Amino acid sequence: MALLAQWATAVLITVAVFAPAITAQATTPTAARSSTPAHKRVAADAAPGSPVKTIGNRNAPITMEVFSDYQCPSCGSFFENTLRAMIQDYVANGKVYLVHHDFPLQMHTYSGQAARWATAAAMIGQFQDVDAALFDSQAKWPVDGDIEKYVAGAISPANFKRIQGILKGCAAAPPTSKADRTVPQVDSSCPVDQYIVQDIVLGYQVPVQATPTFIIHYKGQSYPASSGIITWPILKQFFDTLLSQ
Amino acid sequence: MTQNEPRGNLARTLLLLGRLALAAIFLFAAYAKLKPQAAMPWSGSSIKTSLSLFAMQVDSYQLLPPQLVSPAAHFLPPFELCLGLWLLAGVLLRYASLITTLLLGAFFAVMVRTYMAGLEINCGCFGPGERLGPLTLLRDGSLLALALAVTIGAFLQGRKRRTESAPVPPVSAPQRAD
Repeated sequence: MALLAQWATAVLITVAVFAPAITAQATTPTAARSSTPAHKRVAADAAPGSPVKTIGNRNAPITMEVFSDYQCPSCGSFFENTLRAMIQDYVANGKVYLVHHDFPLQMHTYSGQAARWATAAAMIGQFQDVDAALFDSQAKWPVDGDIEKYVAGAISPANFKRIQGILKGCAAAPPTSKADRTVPQVDSSCPVDQYIVQDIVLGYQVPVQATPTFIIHYKGQSYPASSGIITWPILKQFFDTLLSQ
Repeated sequence: MTQNEPRGNLARTLLLLGRLALAAIFLFAAYAKLKPQAAMPWSGSSIKTSLSLFAMQVDSYQLLPPQLVSPAAHFLPPFELCLGLWLLAGVLLRYASLITTLLLGAFFAVMVRTYMAGLEINCGCFGPGERLGPLTLLRDGSLLALALAVTIGAFLQGRKRRTESAPVPPVSAPQRAD
C-alpha cells in the first residue's frame, strides 16, 4: 500500500513538473512535426524556374532539410566536417536528399547577400558549386563583403554572367530573419528575395532558434529538429538506424 | 511526545517528497529519451532509433570523441531509469542520492560550459527539441540543489538512526570509597 502511494505521488509530481512541457510539445504546430517535408510544400507553391537549392536524388529514402546562414561559423563547420562527407557518401549513393534553406541571421552583415548569390545560382542549376564556395571561403568574404569574387571562382564565366543578370535589380538590403520573428520585406525588383523570405518563414514555423538547424524525414515521418554541429560518424549512425528499420 | 518529534516528522516528509520528486524526474528523463519518435510504436527498433537521435544531442555538446558518443548515449537513459527506480524504492538512499547528485552535478557543469562557449544546441535533457538556455540552466541548477538537499537529509537521517539503535553502554556501579 505504501509503495502504491509512493508510485502515485511520483506520477503526480511528474505530471505537475512536466505537464507544461508535454502540452507545449503536443500542441506545437511546427514544420518539424509535419509529415510533408518543407521543401515539398514549397515546391507545390513554387513558380516554374524557381531555385532548386537541393543536392541529390529527390526519391532518396531520407530527406534532410538544413536551415543555414552562410556567415555563421557553426554552419561553416557543419558543412565542412559533416555535410561535405555526407554529400560524397550518402547523397552520392542515393540514400539522402539534402535540402538547403536560407536562414540569414540579422546579426551577420553579409549573410543575406550571400543567400542572394546562392539562390540566384540555384535558379540556373549551379547551387552545389556556389554553396560549397561560400562555405569554403567563409573566413574571407565577411571581411569586406566581396562575395562576388568567390562565386566567380566557383563557376564558369558564362554562368557567372547569368547570375549577375539575375541579381541586377537587387540594390536594397537583403532579407534576413528577425529576432521578433517578423516577416522581412520582399524587394520586388530582386527576383531571389521572395525565395529567401519563403525559407525564413519556413524556419519560423519549425521554429529555427539557431543555425544550423536540421530536420530529418524518413518514410513519411519527421524527426525532431536538431541544432548545432553533429559529426558525420554520429549522423551516419542515425541514418543507418533509420535505413535498417 | 518530545518537542523534536514534529520537526523529525517534517524532515522525514520533506526527504520523502524530495526523493520521490527526483525519482519522478529521472524516470521521466529516461522515458523521454527512450520513447519512440515520429509516431513509431514501442519496439526494439524504435528504442534504437531514439537512442541514435539522443546520440546526436550528446555529440552536439562537442565534449566526447565520436567513438565515445554512442556508448555514452546508450548508457545514460537506462542508467537514469535504474536510478529513478532506485530512488523510488528508497533502499540505501544515501548512496542513491549521492550518485544522483554527482550525475546532476556533471550534467550541470557540462551545460554551463556549453552555454558559456556560446554553442546554440538542444539540451537533450528531456528528449529532443528543447534549446539549452538560461531556463534549462536554472531548472537543472534547482534539481542539483534538490539532490544535494536529499543527500544531506539522507546522511543525517542515517546517522540519527545509527545513534538511536546503538546499544546503551551498561551503567557501572558507583565505586565505594573505602
